[in-house]
Formats: sequence, C-alpha cells, structure tokens
Amino acid sequence: MIGRWRSASQTAAMLLLVITPILNYQGITFVQGWFQSLAVGRLWLVSPLEGLECILVSHSLYGPQIVGMLLPVLSASLLGTVFCSWICPVNTLQVWSDRLLSPWLRRRGEGWAVPRTLLWYVLAAELVLALVLGTPLFVFLSPPGLVGRELMMLVFFRTLAVEGLLLLVILGLNLITKRLFCRAFCPLRGLLALLGAKRRLIVARVEEAGPGGQHCDDVCPLGLAPSMGEGTSLHCWNCGRCVDACTDNGLKMVWRRADLQRHDPCLEKAPRVTQIGNMGGKR
Amino acid sequence: MRILAGASILAPAAGAGAHPLRSPVGVNRLRPPGAVDEKTFTGRCIRCGRCAEVCPYRAILPLDATDGVHAGTPLIQVDEIPCYLCMECVEVCPTGALQRIELAETRMGTAVINRHTCMAWTDDTLCRTCYSVCPLRDTAIHLTEFKPHVNPAACTGCGICAHACPVVGSDGSRPIVVDPAYDPLESAEAAP
Repeated sequence: MIGRWRSASQTAAMLLLVITPILNYQGITFVQGWFQSLAVGRLWLVSPLEGLECILVSHSLYGPQIVGMLLPVLSASLLGTVFCSWICPVNTLQVWSDRLLSPWLRRRGEGWAVPRTLLWYVLAAELVLALVLGTPLFVFLSPPGLVGRELMMLVFFRTLAVEGLLLLVILGLNLITKRLFCRAFCPLRGLLALLGAKRRLIVARVEEAGPGGQHCDDVCPLGLAPSMGEGTSLHCWNCGRCVDACTDNGLKMVWRRADLQRHDPCLEKAPRVTQIGNMGGKR
Repeated sequence: MRILAGASILAPAAGAGAHPLRSPVGVNRLRPPGAVDEKTFTGRCIRCGRCAEVCPYRAILPLDATDGVHAGTPLIQVDEIPCYLCMECVEVCPTGALQRIELAETRMGTAVINRHTCMAWTDDTLCRTCYSVCPLRDTAIHLTEFKPHVNPAACTGCGICAHACPVVGSDGSRPIVVDPAYDPLESAEAAP
C-alpha cells in the first residue's frame, strides 16, 4: 500500500526533472531548476547540504537561500530522509535498474560489507575538504543534482556533462550491494539523517503482533532490521517497504508524539542501536 | 570534453587540461550579469542551472568537470552568443551569486578595440557595426571622427559588439573583444 504511493512519488519526481527543462526551453518558467534549487512560482527551495557548503565556503548569508533551505530542513527533521526514499532520482534509477535486472541480482545480498558509520565520516570529510579547498564540492557532484543537470544539458544544449559518469558508477555499485552509495557514501543523506535524528515519522514495531520476522527485514534496501527496532535508527529512510512486506502487520509507520517519545512501548523494547553489524542483508 | 559533441558551437575553448581550481573566466568568457566577485562566485553558486534555464538566448552555458571545481557554474561566451541584457537571470539566482541589478549597472567586462585591426581605425572604411549594435549607444561606444571609442565607465561587457564585428582574423579573433571584469592574471596567485 505504501509502496504504491512511494512509486507514484518517485515517478512524479522523475517526470518533474524531465518535463521542467522541456517547458523552460519553451519559455514557460513557472517551475524551474532541480534538486539543488527548485522554484515553483515564487517558492524557492534550496538543498540543505549545497546551501550549507555555500554558507561555509563563502562566509556569508543570503536571505532567499536561508528561506529556501527552511522547508527541506523542516521536512527532514519531522519526516527523516524521505527525500532519499520517496523523491531522490538516483534512488529511483536504482529501483528501476533493480527491477530491470532482477533475474541477475538474486545473489546480491552478500555484497560488500561497508560500515554504516562511514556515512558520517564521508559527510565530515566532504565539508572539511570543501573548506580546505575553499570551494564547494557537493554542489557539482551531488548525484540527485546531476540527474537534473544532465537532463537540462540534454534538452538545452544536446550535450552531457562528463561528471554524469558518477551516476553510472553509483548504478554499478548498486549491482554489488543494494544502495551501496546511499548507505555509506552520500553526504546529503548523511546530513538529512542527522537532521532527522529526532524525527516524528518512524517505522515502529507493533508489540501485539509478535516478534516480526526475517521476511520483514529482507526487503530493506539499506540492510536494516526493522523487526529489531532499526526502523527508529538514524539510518532508516522511511521508505515503508518493510511495513508492506510484514504480512503479520508487525510494523507500522507511525507519527510519534514528542511527549511520548520516552515512554513509547515500541521504542522501549527495541534494542539500542549502537553498532549495527548487519551489512549487505546478512543477519 | 563533452560526451555528446552535438552542439559544436558550445565546445569549451579552454576546457581539458585547465587547472582544476583556476577560474574559467577570460577574454570573451564571462560570468552572467550581476555576478559577485569571481573569487567568491564559485563558493556562492549552487549549480542549480536556473540562470541557464531562464536565459531566452541560450547564452548562459553551465560548465562541466573539465573546468575543475567550476563545473556547473554559468559562463557566457560572448563571441558565440552574447548577453542581450534582458536581466532575467539575475532575478532567479537563489544564492545571490547573481545579484539583482539594473541593465546599465551591469559590469561583466569591458569591450576593448584593437586599433591595429579594426577596419574603422586602419582603413578609412565607414564601419560602425559595434556602435550600431551597442545597447548603450553613444554612452558605452561613441564615434569620434568616424572611429569607435569605448567608454569603460559605461560599458556593460555584454559582448554584442564583439559578436557582431564583421572582421574575423585568421585565428578567429576579432578586433573587438570583451575583457572580463575579473582579471585571471591579477588573481593568479590568489587562486582559486
């Protein structure tokens, strides 16, 4: 059920990236840009990490940019990294390539074991490197941004930027380990995950439904174990696949109230997730 | 190096081999109107491409990684497609890399006339193309004794003159070019 909504959202986001440059090319500029900065009329959105890089490197604040970052930051703090799982075109491309190549990808579960904590180091390294070089880096290497930029280059100039090869690398890594780039290397996901540390939307276990099962966890594209309470961890991106897969309704996507956070029975029983040894789908 | 070299006019002039941190700005290669100082431009620009998308003349081209860390930043190559000063791009920049300014305040660079190759200066030809096309005629370019003069204090650097000049040398250069507002040589030591 959630899956249907998620697919619709992902397809709509992808269509937006395709249709926007075509309309812009015709001179219709009501909707503009892509996931670095998207403009809908006078509403301007700015991606939090690219915006942060700009602030850090240029040592300056610019009103429209700060206002543009507010909505994405607010949505990440309340909903978690839903941008990654419901909107990001790079995830969508990986979903589609998974579907296309599914007969050949059955044994992928045993892929590279990459520690999840790498995500935080990549984010920190990216920001430090940008500061050392004095120039923002994610602004032109952002994979979701690249999808938009390449589509625009294609429509406007019948050409492609060479850094789009990064997208092919990410799709290649996905063949080795599911969402390998998203799991450990995407600094934007790192930042959004940190913003969503105290998010309200979580995947929680329903106690009455029993212990849940392997089949609930097997579908997790990030190799998490929601049945063990990892749906509340920093890494869960609220895609809801486990909720759909859990045939005994053992998992639910719920809105946790701030005042109940400490006494939530779902959370109390969940083991504290400090070091997660569940890589590449292994248990 | 662009993967699909479909649009040959857009082939970057100083692409491959350029220093990854050095500014791509140079003669006839300019930032769009309202650009902040080149030293801070790459830090301010978020590479959202909205200035390029809104430009009705397709004059603004986003660079790629062959220009190093400047990949995705906008550049106008005025000898290919000049800036017609419609001032649409300055309205859409979300990070202030392009500041909202008036047409006459625009300073992308300064047109420079080579008096040794300009027909009006060398021959007694009555060429006044640059003067005729200048959007600030008689202010930025004026004729004295039928010879064009640029007033650097008023020139916007739009490059319409550099694009329109009918004299093209064997190396493709024209007697009138636009020197960028940013001087790459001046800031070579303070790179990027």
